[in-house]
Amino acid sequence: MIKEIKNNDFNAVENAKTAIVDFNATWCGPCRMLAPILEELSEEYSDIGFYACDVDNNMELAVKYGIQSIPAVGVFKDGKLVNMSVGFRPKEAMKALIESAK
Amino acid sequence: MLGSSALSSKISKAHRIDNYTGLPAISGEELAARLKAHLDEVGAEITDKQVGAVYAMGDYFALQCGEEMLEASSVIVATGVVQAKALEGEDRFLGRGVSYCATCDARLYKGKTVAVLGYSADSAEEALFLSEVVDSVLYFPMNDKLPEERENLRVIREKPLEMIGENNVTSLKTDSGEYEVSCVFVLRDAVMPEKLIPGVETDGAHIKVDINMKTNINGLFACGDVAGKPYQYIKAAGQGNIAALSAIGYLNEIKKEV
Repeated sequence: MIKEIKNNDFNAVENAKTAIVDFNATWCGPCRMLAPILEELSEEYSDIGFYACDVDNNMELAVKYGIQSIPAVGVFKDGKLVNMSVGFRPKEAMKALIESAK
Repeated sequence: MLGSSALSSKISKAHRIDNYTGLPAISGEELAARLKAHLDEVGAEITDKQVGAVYAMGDYFALQCGEEMLEASSVIVATGVVQAKALEGEDRFLGRGVSYCATCDARLYKGKTVAVLGYSADSAEEALFLSEVVDSVLYFPMNDKLPEERENLRVIREKPLEMIGENNVTSLKTDSGEYEVSCVFVLRDAVMPEKLIPGVETDGAHIKVDINMKTNINGLFACGDVAGKPYQYIKAAGQGNIAALSAIGYLNEIKKEV
């Protein structure tokens, strides 16, 4: 399951050991294609927190993490951004990104 | 089969082809006619659509054609090769101040100044769209189409050379100046393979394939010029044959799994 970030509230991510955050927007085509892949992966990696962050509704976070192109998937360890994958990536590549974070 | 029913313009323009087995000294125009006749003979239809992106979704592919999304179990890429050369800094800053999609990324530059390098036919229109979202647009025309006048849109007739910055693009250097911008939108007609198929492994303008025309993405195959040199019709036809057989093999394999 992917939880939605609202009102720039990043508490859950900051307190998680490992979290995957998908910075996206409703008007972005590649984001819509990436979303179901992340949904599947969130089922496969149920021990990791998956979050979706709509950049229009969470502008502060988008600025804070320097989001310049979406989709952008950030890997957070203990609240710190350790890796970022920009653009649509195939499922296998997303899987590798998550594996590297474990 | 997605593409142009008029086939590639490259082939018709070829004056004479001397090494296509069985058809010595044939003109490009005639070879094109023969290929078309062959397609008609086997009933292979060409659907006139331009694919904007191919998304590898895991167990299927989504092909974006304008507003439409098509689905396929396997894809063979035979796009030919793109000759466009990347600008200095373009690859390094992709996603950090270099964008290929105005409608995708415009809103991330609200209140900022951006540059548009207008190579494609619809660049002028895209620039107008951008001017409605961002603070101001510097438009570098690379063809003879110009956008309508807008107060926050400036046309600059200089040759863009390089994107400059540390982590993100901060300016665009031209042959006669430097402009502070937050993003450079590079709008070309031809899409490089790694932009057409996000995640595909490439080597310059070519998609990496093995001897069976397989790419690094399961179920995706490539053949012809996009799969590498030499750029010859006879080689493209042979690779097409291999790619088709590999795709059939792949389809049989996934059928067994279900």
